[in-house]
Amino acid sequence: MESVLLGIGVTALAGALATVAGAAEDTESNIGSQGDPNSQVQLAPQMGYIHRIYNKAVSGEPPAYGLWVTISAGVAWAFMITGMNPVLAIVIASALAVFVQGVYATTAYLGRTASLAKFEQPVYIDVIKSVTTVTMAHAFVAIFTTVAMCYLLVEALGHPFPLPLLGIVWGIALGAAGSATGNPFYGKERQYQTQNFGAGVPISASGNIVRYAEAGQRSSLDNGWFTAKLGGPASGVCFGLIVFLELWRTVLFESVAGGWGAIIAGVVIILIFMIIDRYIEVWARKNYGPYVKAEEVSA
Amino acid sequence: MTAIAAKSTASEGINPVASVIGIVIIIAAVAITAVVANFALAALIGVIIGGLLIGFGVHFVPVGGAPAAMGQSPGIATGVAMLAAGAGLAGLFGGAWAAANPEFGIAIVIAAGAIGGGLLMAVTCLMVNVVYIFGMGIPAASGKVAKDPITGDSQAEYKSQGTEGHGLPFVSYVGGVIGGMLGGAGGTLIYYELLQVYAARLPEIFGATAEGVLPVAISLAGIFAVGMFLMNAVLAAYNITGTIEGPHDPKFKRFPRAVIGCAVASAVAGLFAVLIVVV
Amino acid sequence: MTVQVTASTGGIPHNKIMAFGLVGSLVCLYLTYLNQYLSVEYAAFFGGLAAVFALIWGTDTIKHLCSYGIGTGVPSAGMIAFGSGAIAMLLATATQFNSMFLSPIMAVVFGAIIGGVAGWLANSVMRMNIPVMVRSLTEMAIIGAIVLMGFTAVMAGGFGFEALSAREFALFGSLAIKNFEFTVLGGCLVAVSFMLGAIALQHPFNACLGPGEKQDRTLMLAAECGFLSMIPVAVISFAFVGIGAAVLSLIVAVVGWYYTYARYIELSKRDAFAWLDAKPILEPKGED
Repeated sequence: MESVLLGIGVTALAGALATVAGAAEDTESNIGSQGDPNSQVQLAPQMGYIHRIYNKAVSGEPPAYGLWVTISAGVAWAFMITGMNPVLAIVIASALAVFVQGVYATTAYLGRTASLAKFEQPVYIDVIKSVTTVTMAHAFVAIFTTVAMCYLLVEALGHPFPLPLLGIVWGIALGAAGSATGNPFYGKERQYQTQNFGAGVPISASGNIVRYAEAGQRSSLDNGWFTAKLGGPASGVCFGLIVFLELWRTVLFESVAGGWGAIIAGVVIILIFMIIDRYIEVWARKNYGPYVKAEEVSA
Repeated sequence: MTAIAAKSTASEGINPVASVIGIVIIIAAVAITAVVANFALAALIGVIIGGLLIGFGVHFVPVGGAPAAMGQSPGIATGVAMLAAGAGLAGLFGGAWAAANPEFGIAIVIAAGAIGGGLLMAVTCLMVNVVYIFGMGIPAASGKVAKDPITGDSQAEYKSQGTEGHGLPFVSYVGGVIGGMLGGAGGTLIYYELLQVYAARLPEIFGATAEGVLPVAISLAGIFAVGMFLMNAVLAAYNITGTIEGPHDPKFKRFPRAVIGCAVASAVAGLFAVLIVVV
Repeated sequence: MTVQVTASTGGIPHNKIMAFGLVGSLVCLYLTYLNQYLSVEYAAFFGGLAAVFALIWGTDTIKHLCSYGIGTGVPSAGMIAFGSGAIAMLLATATQFNSMFLSPIMAVVFGAIIGGVAGWLANSVMRMNIPVMVRSLTEMAIIGAIVLMGFTAVMAGGFGFEALSAREFALFGSLAIKNFEFTVLGGCLVAVSFMLGAIALQHPFNACLGPGEKQDRTLMLAAECGFLSMIPVAVISFAFVGIGAAVLSLIVAVVGWYYTYARYIELSKRDAFAWLDAKPILEPKGED
């Protein structure tokens, strides 16, 4: 009983850490315009829209976060086997991973922008100085919490994988969850704020991203507070639920029915999510209605 | 180099000659294993099955790539290989955990991997629709079919102007969950089979106890599973050229090529992974 | 509408870069055998240099491959390179090959086999029909194996399978116990090299693509990525090799990184349309 109670506590803590990680990950990637919305930042100057938005084309978020988290996990693991305190080891290792992330971010901005010289897009040095440091700060939160969560999985729940291997697994999963949930909210709602609400961006509008703010010119830093409205928390909930439910069903039901208890619990959870999804899909169809009447379309 | 101007000329359908050669390669890999490492024959076949499960599973995952981030095309806004990898590796996490319990047989381990992958996709796909519907006020609509094959909902009139659809219609959601499950099961199968081989052979090689070398066996099987997963996922992503809506997409019909291709790639990679405890 | 992958043409021919990368990285990998030969650990940093040579070569390969629309972006190419490279590299470290000083050669051979199969599958079975596909994936699997082997050499001072899996800890003087958990393979540090290499391989071209891409700038970034990746690897090596060897690796990595990073910024400044600090958007003077 005691071990189950401890397991539930660790599960809750790991889920909470994952939630923070997901929110910080999406905020970081949106401030830097990483992932799929990056294509529009890249496209805009080619269509004649010069901007002061950061262009952090490191790669998709899953591989990028796979790298940052794995570096931190690997370095922390190496420090720990030499006898360093785990908390200190994870903090120092995350700082090193963030250094690598920051260097990658600057080289991506410089490289992409310099290659756009033909379209008269200048390199803005002040953008590098102000935005890179902010993305590094958010990345630190995301990396530290993810590695701390992985450490809990090994030490408290006894997962067989060593820390670096867990880093690659959960780093890629973190990037996948964050990019899937957060990308549309930034890509459509923020970059194309001037387009109609409640509709996708027409393909003809591609590249015409919003470049001016309420006053002055849009800075990528403001994407941080925009993300904090919905995309970031939603990404956090997404990654937090994944980690929490995965652990919860195993910790609580693994001993039920010779191991099948955890499987059945997982199937039930998946079915519940499926029903919720169908419900909101129908809700949207009913409340938002079609864009055009059905007859016109059939023609 | 004139590569910039040139365009790839990808074509549809199965290439019969190449497929036969591929099957010959699989048989050769199995034959070599049977001769030099007879004890690992079952493991190699498990690895091949795991690889083709991954290749097949990737085709179910609805991925829209960059246009999906602007609500211009349906699917999840990220790369197909990496999303599948996220789900498959989360499945591997669950499967490896179950495999660490000596009481559990192969069926529970594989099921645990499948559920781990399916759970990630179930949560992620729901959150995608939550953001589309409650964050951006956009209902889900497919661009490839007139009616959702599962629910029968008409799609075309819910597609906003100038786009190819957006969000995840229910069929894409189900596809995502199935894809995550297949990926998780495939990755776990590769891990589990290799782990059995290494756990049995490494103590002999190092002259140590089974318990002592277990960390090496787990790490080796884990990194091989991750490597083979990424290899198969990228090959399958090449097969669908980046984006797919799910099982209702016409591109889905290309899956036999990926199944053959991933089986061949896994056979060669699996042979190498087994040979490490032989040479 | 998505961004077209555009890149420069001309410059140093690919075959020349390939020869330079292959020979350079193999020589450096063989120099790490000095550790074994002289019973020291100071030669570990040559592994990092091998990785830098291989990454420069790989950047040029990726540029040629991705100039064709492969539909999945540049990063996936780095993933398949290291997915197949990891398998080839681990097999090549087998004690049999290492004791005969064959591991680097075998890494190239196994990488070529597995990469060639993957390329052939993509082209023939998946019917992508891209002329450089087979060659590119073959090269990239070799590069993946070499980079992983190089980083492993930095971490552990060598790449014998047994040395990577087992370490002897002296207990109470004469009594020694073998430990498998706190080793390069037991801790799965290959995963760290894997991600470091996969991102470093795809990043230079991914970051520099566009109509103004210049070969020298992209290759300088490749070297920068190599040295940057070597920094965490050198930090990890403190747990496995003597402090002198680890500090030497770290100094080589930091100095190499600083030089290439500074050069890369200079080259970016050269190629940029303008280099502005705290200036507003300049609307283009063209017809828009």
